[in-house]
Amino acid sequence: MPESAIAISTSCILSLEMPYSEQLCIRRTAYRGGDGPRAAIVAGIHGDELEGLYVCQLLADWLEQLARENPAGLAGTVELYPAMNPLGLDTLTRAIPVFDTDLNRNFPGSPNGDLPKRIAHAAIENLSGAALVVDIHASNIYLREIPQVRINTDFADSLVPLARRLNLDLIWLHGAMTVLEATVAHSLNSVGTPCLVVEMGVGMRITPDYCRQVMSGILTLWKDQGVLTPDVELPPLDHLPLIADDSNVHYLNAPTSGLFVPVIEHWTDVRKGQLLGTIVSPLQGGILSEVRSPVDGILFTLREYPLVYEGSLMARVMARKGRLA
Amino acid sequence: MSSRDLVLMTAPLREDFTIPCHEIGPAGNPAVSFVSGLHGDEINGIYILARLADFLTAVAGGNYPKLRLAQRVLIIPAVNVLGTNTLRRAWPFDQSDQNRMFPGNRMGETTQRIAYSVLEATKKSAYRVDLHSSNLYFEELPQVRLYDPTPEERETAPLFGLPAIMERSVSPVFTTTLMYAWKYWPGQSFLLQVGQAGSIQLPHCQQVFRGLVSFLGRIGVLEGVEVAEADQEALYFTRECSVRIYADRAGMFVSDKSLGGWVSKGQELGYIYDSFNGTVRTRVIAPAAGLLTGIRRQPMLFEGDLLVRICTRTP
Ligand SMILES: [Zn+2]
Ligand SMILES: [Zn+2]
Repeated sequence: MPESAIAISTSCILSLEMPYSEQLCIRRTAYRGGDGPRAAIVAGIHGDELEGLYVCQLLADWLEQLARENPAGLAGTVELYPAMNPLGLDTLTRAIPVFDTDLNRNFPGSPNGDLPKRIAHAAIENLSGAALVVDIHASNIYLREIPQVRINTDFADSLVPLARRLNLDLIWLHGAMTVLEATVAHSLNSVGTPCLVVEMGVGMRITPDYCRQVMSGILTLWKDQGVLTPDVELPPLDHLPLIADDSNVHYLNAPTSGLFVPVIEHWTDVRKGQLLGTIVSPLQGGILSEVRSPVDGILFTLREYPLVYEGSLMARVMARKGRLA
Repeated sequence: MSSRDLVLMTAPLREDFTIPCHEIGPAGNPAVSFVSGLHGDEINGIYILARLADFLTAVAGGNYPKLRLAQRVLIIPAVNVLGTNTLRRAWPFDQSDQNRMFPGNRMGETTQRIAYSVLEATKKSAYRVDLHSSNLYFEELPQVRLYDPTPEERETAPLFGLPAIMERSVSPVFTTTLMYAWKYWPGQSFLLQVGQAGSIQLPHCQQVFRGLVSFLGRIGVLEGVEVAEADQEALYFTRECSVRIYADRAGMFVSDKSLGGWVSKGQELGYIYDSFNGTVRTRVIAPAAGLLTGIRRQPMLFEGDLLVRICTRTP
């Protein structure tokens, strides 16, 4: 018997009757080490986003190994919530099925409301008071995103220093948008529980490199926070984030409908006027429109789903503003 | 021609698509704008507005000698045209909610461009009305919804002659709706809730159609309408007057009640059955006396689902 051990347990944070015979359960796996701070990972809020599920798996593997080889390395507690919207994941639906509502527009929720409100409430009850929560999203099926953290400017002072240690490529500061008040991140940050929102990859897929990259950042933050002991060895940080905000992000919306065919790799430097892709017509052949970069910068969002309608977002280019030291 | 295209957009594999609207009556800015079908599966509003367009076109064409359209009326029966044609609530291209895209953006996403055009066409009207139909699960008694209303809106609301007026405050969730965008402009804004999505409930539609005609009469846009003053006594309900019954158990909810009737305290409203073994799990009982204004029609319940709304005369 080692002098200390990590207690691993999977449990339901919410259990609810479904219409026909079944029981819905929101599951959490907890790794309890010492009395140190508690950290949590949330994923699967949108049923079509899987990147965060894989990050949870990588972290679970890593923690299992820690439990075997260096159980004293876990000074605090880690909680993984890989599937906050299990019915959405079961049915490949972004929203919560039946209720047809975006779970991330239902926070802080309520203990007596309908299913979305109850899930939101149970999540907040369990996450509040953690030293750090990371909520992992995977863009959607339309757009591929470089690993990034999105921060509401209201909370920039406290969150940016944390975000810089997350091994991501980009920190995107967003103006206060009222509609996003109903997200888990806004609800947690409002009650003083720091929550970082990670966006990366593309819906319905996993991008293993991105997931490993984010895992390194999460482990680093856990060590910074004292969830892991200083002696624990971690994979290196090999990414430094650029910073973006409303002033240097340029959106490329489709001027006409058609099939978007990129001619460039994602996450590359582009010059003003450089061709990024073309919109072509499956009906008549030929090029309907050329998509060119409006500035010198770096391409950090690229359309993954090729069919575009007038106005559809095809790419985002960030003018270089400097790298965070 | 009394109709034009509000929005004209290309599509990759089909005809260009348009969002057509009716403009009926004398030239000028429309005095009243009616919008429906922001959600493509809300058929009641689309049916009511299409019929209203037919009626007002006939009035303008002189087919009703006693009636005269004194001011211009704008009617958009369905904003979400493709959703309406494919029976989808959301905008089909990207599954976004067209009523979460306001005030829109002329150069933004497709749905933001549509939102921008709808707002531009309607924002200068003195009266603006947006018709909705709950969702596929819940039936609403035809009602006027007021969101943080002005005194003028409170005064006008009874002119629709609908059985209920419900007042609500604007929550952050609503800041990107058409109703909220309208509020930045002078004039009055109303949301009508009519029945249930996915089908037509004819009695509700007939009631609202008559209500819209008498409303146009009462505000002087349609002259010559004989308005029976005691048509219907509208009842005013604040949020505090709303009594909601939630499912204490999962299962199947079955009720034989129809909306618009008065129920007494203790009255039986329906049952929740265990959907596997058929036993009664809960007898649903009215906790207070009042007007039955909303009821769940989709029977499969999760724990905590809303079953019934009763509006009481006093909070
Ligand atoms: Zn997401
Ligand atoms: Zn609606």
